[in-house]
Amino acid sequence: MSQTLVTVENLRIAFAGEGGTMIEAVKGVSFEVGREKLGIVGESGSGKSLSSRALMGVLPEHARVSADVMSFAGIDLLSASPRVRRQLRGNRMGMILQDPKFSLNPVMRVGKQIAEAIRLGARSLPSAKVRQKVLEVLEAVHIRAPERVYDLYPHELSGGMGQRVMIAMMVVREPELLIADEPTSALDVTVQVQVLEIMDELVRRRGMGLVFISHDLNLVSRFCDRVLVMYAGRIVETLDARRMHEAVHPYTRGLLACLPAIDGPLTPLPTLARDASWGEARL
Amino acid sequence: MIRIENLSVHFGSAVAVHNVSLSVEGGESFGLVGESGSGKSTVLRTVMGLNRQWTGDIHIGDIDLRKARRRDLVRVAQMVFQDPYASLHPRYTIGQAIAEPMLINRMSDVDARTVELLEMIGLTAAHRFRFPHELSGGQRQRVAIARALSLSPEVLLLDEPTSALDVSVQAEILNLLNRLRRELNLTFVIVSHDLAVISYMCDRLMVMQNARAVETLTRAQLRAGDMQHDYTRTLFRASHRDRAGAGASAEAVRHG
Amino acid sequence: MTAINLTHAETRRQLRRARLGEFTKFARRFAGNPLGMIGLAILGVLLASAVFAPLLATHDPYLPDLVHRLSPPSFENWLGTDELGRDIFSRILYGARLTLLIVGLVVATSAPIGLIIGAVAGTSGGWVDAVFMRITDVFLAVPKLLLALAFVAALGPGIVNAALAITLTAWPPYARLARAEALIVRDSDYVNAVRLAGGSEFRIVLRHIMPMCLSSVIVRMTLDMAGIILTAAGLGFIGLGAQPPLPEWGAMISTGRKFIFDQWWVATMPGLAIFIVSLGFNLLGDAMRDLLDPHLRRRA
Repeated sequence: MSQTLVTVENLRIAFAGEGGTMIEAVKGVSFEVGREKLGIVGESGSGKSLSSRALMGVLPEHARVSADVMSFAGIDLLSASPRVRRQLRGNRMGMILQDPKFSLNPVMRVGKQIAEAIRLGARSLPSAKVRQKVLEVLEAVHIRAPERVYDLYPHELSGGMGQRVMIAMMVVREPELLIADEPTSALDVTVQVQVLEIMDELVRRRGMGLVFISHDLNLVSRFCDRVLVMYAGRIVETLDARRMHEAVHPYTRGLLACLPAIDGPLTPLPTLARDASWGEARL
Repeated sequence: MIRIENLSVHFGSAVAVHNVSLSVEGGESFGLVGESGSGKSTVLRTVMGLNRQWTGDIHIGDIDLRKARRRDLVRVAQMVFQDPYASLHPRYTIGQAIAEPMLINRMSDVDARTVELLEMIGLTAAHRFRFPHELSGGQRQRVAIARALSLSPEVLLLDEPTSALDVSVQAEILNLLNRLRRELNLTFVIVSHDLAVISYMCDRLMVMQNARAVETLTRAQLRAGDMQHDYTRTLFRASHRDRAGAGASAEAVRHG
Repeated sequence: MTAINLTHAETRRQLRRARLGEFTKFARRFAGNPLGMIGLAILGVLLASAVFAPLLATHDPYLPDLVHRLSPPSFENWLGTDELGRDIFSRILYGARLTLLIVGLVVATSAPIGLIIGAVAGTSGGWVDAVFMRITDVFLAVPKLLLALAFVAALGPGIVNAALAITLTAWPPYARLARAEALIVRDSDYVNAVRLAGGSEFRIVLRHIMPMCLSSVIVRMTLDMAGIILTAAGLGFIGLGAQPPLPEWGAMISTGRKFIFDQWWVATMPGLAIFIVSLGFNLLGDAMRDLLDPHLRRRA
């Protein structure tokens, strides 16, 4: 955590429910991201994806967002105009979603899409240079035949390949912050490892900040530097990834315990006994 | 209980399963492991008769799948699908969904049996009149299991039964499945990409890659890392490293 | 274990309550759409005027009164009188019955035909699909009004024949729609689950696939009603629908055409009625689509 990239204080996100009542999905979340790998873990509906989307400014229209502080590299995101937010999204913040199929333009060749991303940042670059750069970045995400992949359409890519192309598209703009929302959960384990390695390398080499959102606590604890555990719209625990076993919150401990292991015991798995108090504000 | 010999399945010119043979004893839990596209789900669907084009021999109990009528097969084997959000009819209440197989097969006492099944899988009689969208993913998967059990089959085929669920819910479903297998003396075939789940649930397993069977292992062999093929070893390493933190933390929980 | 002792009747009652609960939720969401409510109100007025026409009418719609022929709207005749001195307001009220009759007949026949053909074609695939859909294509290839005209010409003019003719031209879009839905649903896991339980293809189509096609068909139906009214009025206008002295709105416009420059109200009043009712159906249809359309819902 050399320098703070993102500061979020008391972030709340609410949606209008039936009959005009507001339903709070995120209830006062505060965290900071430096040039590090920050993991956010929680089950579906815990608010982990919403929080990161609020940071990107890509929440649906009807969401009500409020926060005491939400800033990125000294820019106040709460008061920033849509134009500024858009520029930030294009250049300094990037996002990778779970399924690359929804994020790539299906009728445009992969290489062209990456080239366009480069041109957004540097308009004056000659096209030969752009092509060169695309091939370089494809190579950087460990795609073996970049020349061939350049001319493929998204539907011709396998899941792991598509995810790597997505990462390539994000990193050509050299964002300072990359938000990855379940980037590997649709991938096979062997491919998963490769994709994680690529992201790790980018963080180390380019000093990028990475927010890694996942439901898989073990994966996150292995890969990230710090881990936030979210439950029912709140952060219940913040942990150093190397000291997961020191987790004190029963939810975190339950999550750790309920996974079967290859060499684990065959006794019934411990399950989470959810406590209503976890969802309440900590005093 | 299940005997598959030289099963091949083609979709057009693509080979989905190539020359796969396996046998599962009665009461055993057998795992099929592989990555997406390895053909493991196709094996399951073919056994259930959802694919028509296949070659080879499939026997379930003393039923020859080539000659069997659907009605005979359904009482012996049933299947649970991967995505609980897609496997329940959105316009049917939970009770109707569970009762439907029994009504189709003209069984009596459907109402009482529906309630019994609901209680068996950890829901209550009141859930009978709920619609799927009112239930969580884990509850839906429980309902799908109850539906599969409604005809009292001997074999349950499970296609990635927990991969669409949160990890905390996965544990509940796996425990439930183990309890049901013990109580009802079921035979399981479980398809999964997760070696840890297979190791926890299955006595024996078969690893598949690119439509072919790579090798068959016992649980003891898997746990000891005693495997012949590089591909299995790669899978093993990737999964094992994935769980590296878990052992220590689980230990801490047990002691703490 | 009291639950197990539940009688069958009790089960049915609870099931009905669960369904009612779903419907109430739907109704509440619908009430949140003001335009849809306006549409619903217009249809309510139409329905009321059809049912209570004898009570609401100020005059006998068929009784000529040549002394007061072609009199402008006044306190005595709210919307004026026509060329035979009949009260236009009363005739429009009675005309609402005819309009509802035609719409009802057409919808009650064309939607089920389309739904069945589409669902069966989409589910079975293969040659059944090919044959059914080519038949559908043939009907779609002929201009609607022309086909209806030809049929009425062959069957003879009259309200029921007009409705029949419109039905013949109205079912193909439903078949297309139902087929498209059936194609999505037929390989879904919940339908596979019924197959695995040994359910026949007939049961699958009837009980599992058709309910899923229903919402798009209902939406399309509501939106189509305005078109049906217009087609019926068109047939009436050219003299092939309802026959005089029936107060069908299209036929009323047709007779009023002769006086349009001097006695504007004779043609305008039934025209306004058609306009308002069509608008009502369209508003209702739009609201229904917002709530029911599975594709819109998936996006939300």
